[in-house]
Amino acid sequence: VDCQSESFRYPQLYSPGQQNLYFNKKVFVRCMMHSWYSSLILFFIPWAAMHDTVRDDGKDIADYQSFALLAQTCLLVVVSVQLCLDTYYWTAVNQFFMWGSLAAYFAVSFTMYSNGMFLIFTSAFPFVGVARNSLNQPNVWLTIFLASLLCLLPVVAFRFILIQLRPTINDKLRHKVQMEALPAPAPRRPPPRRISTRRSGYAFSHAQGYGNLVTSPPGWSPGQTFTLKLSQYSNWWCFLADECRCHCESVHMNIYRI
Amino acid sequence: MMASSYNAKDEDGHITVSGPGGSTLRSKKPENTAFKQQRLPAWQPILTAGTVLPAFFIIGLIFIPIGIGLYVTSNNIKEFEIDYTGVDMSSPCFNCSQNFSWNSTRPCTCTIPFYLEQPYESNVFMYYGLSNFYQNHRRYVKSRDDSQLNGDMDSLMRPSKECEPYAFHENKPIAPCGAIANSMFNDTLELFYNDPNGTKIPIPLTTTGIAWWTDKHVKFRNPGGNNPNLTAVFQGTTKPVNWRRPVYELDADPENDGFINEDFIVWMRTAALPTFRKLYRIIQKKNNIVPTLPRGNYTLEVVYNYPVRSFEGRKRMILSTISWMGGKNPFLGIAYITVGSVCFFLGVVLLIIHHKYGNRNNSADISN
Repeated sequence: VDCQSESFRYPQLYSPGQQNLYFNKKVFVRCMMHSWYSSLILFFIPWAAMHDTVRDDGKDIADYQSFALLAQTCLLVVVSVQLCLDTYYWTAVNQFFMWGSLAAYFAVSFTMYSNGMFLIFTSAFPFVGVARNSLNQPNVWLTIFLASLLCLLPVVAFRFILIQLRPTINDKLRHKVQMEALPAPAPRRPPPRRISTRRSGYAFSHAQGYGNLVTSPPGWSPGQTFTLKLSQYSNWWCFLADECRCHCESVHMNIYRI
Repeated sequence: MMASSYNAKDEDGHITVSGPGGSTLRSKKPENTAFKQQRLPAWQPILTAGTVLPAFFIIGLIFIPIGIGLYVTSNNIKEFEIDYTGVDMSSPCFNCSQNFSWNSTRPCTCTIPFYLEQPYESNVFMYYGLSNFYQNHRRYVKSRDDSQLNGDMDSLMRPSKECEPYAFHENKPIAPCGAIANSMFNDTLELFYNDPNGTKIPIPLTTTGIAWWTDKHVKFRNPGGNNPNLTAVFQGTTKPVNWRRPVYELDADPENDGFINEDFIVWMRTAALPTFRKLYRIIQKKNNIVPTLPRGNYTLEVVYNYPVRSFEGRKRMILSTISWMGGKNPFLGIAYITVGSVCFFLGVVLLIIHHKYGNRNNSADISN
């Protein structure tokens, strides 16, 4: 959980770091087992898929260069998706670099294995034609898909089980923030008759849930209002902001939403 | 008296400091934009039961039909394999495998009869397969000169050092140089159909269209441009040590001679695994009514040139039909079915776990 507000509210979030829960020998061994398993998958799935196989027009696909490209592509896809799973905060910059790196891989591969590069630098680029001839086979894409899923499903399942059985304070807090930030109740149409006395001082009519927040509820204090409003609309979209700005924005956003 | 003073934070958050003499120095604080103050709108994925469980079930439901489709397709491919190494004394090629020598001018032939139980429709592909042959050995894979094979005259006369010790022979450069070219497969395989009334009908085998288009037209080019007289072009070079004929006599057809000979190109595309098959010939389909290879007795005639027994290798001939997923390989189908079932089962297990223990997240032991 990254919102500054949450860190102020729940200082226990700092305790996992202090207790060395995220980087110790056990975690390291777990990481090693995961990489060992992934390496086996990333070699043996292409090996078994390419064993005695040919293209759909009968020509060779089990050659050394196509096999290398296949294993490499599986690896790239697995690493990218693993990165997606580990990124907890997706901004536009993250999206650009994630998709961009996959696109760059394919762009660079096709460029390196093109006729032009081969004719200019013959000995440096001997893999001419490999990308074109192997990546147009449904066989190859099915293998890539299978290897990627086999590498990633255990990770997702393991993390999910851990969240269910032994949630850390981070998981509990994320869950809590998500539960609190339920969608706002549907605003009821205001009654057609005019309200003679206005306690809020604002021109718009409010739905039940918000009116007493903007006016003076019992036990109001500025800090309390700020955090409650923040969690109400920071459902999946969390604005990192300094407190003053957030307070102003929260009030304005609340009004204009209705 | 110092006239400098700190101003309070203004609207933008910039702190301006007034130095002596009334000049204002701008501080180095970054601008207050969303990008620089890390206020970009963001999405935070959380692994909840609502996303993970349906994902597992959907993956399971998608994979199982794909796996079944792949498995059925693979089973419908017809394949026939003959091992003609001649290991057993009872094998027709046993004598040929024993009497091998590099200098023999009279080739050894052996004949193997076989029976096809099912007719083969559509194009039938004939492969030769080798076992225990490590074309992926690193020093072997590097032992070639791609510039020479691309038709560069300079490299033709001066092959690269990677080809050593197969670069020069008797002071002449070897064309094509290297260990890969030197160990080219040179058995000749012919198929005959034994008619019910006893005649042996040779089956027409297509020799072109077996290599990749990019290999044949981009990677491998004959030196000397379009000069049809290859003997003159390769003047001054010598054939590889283990070859019987020089490279410009590989085929009578000038489109398939020299470096662009398709058998040569197919061999030069080194295999990744020690058991591999390479396309040798294609048996074109005649029409949609008559099967390409009808049921019946056939004969395979082998001109046994290639020695494999010294390294416990095996040679085989494979006849196979092709589908959209390539040759006969049941692995993908079985793998998809297995992974789909495991995924589905795991989804059920996770659902049970979530039901029983999922409310631990709600425990309110996070104090404000």
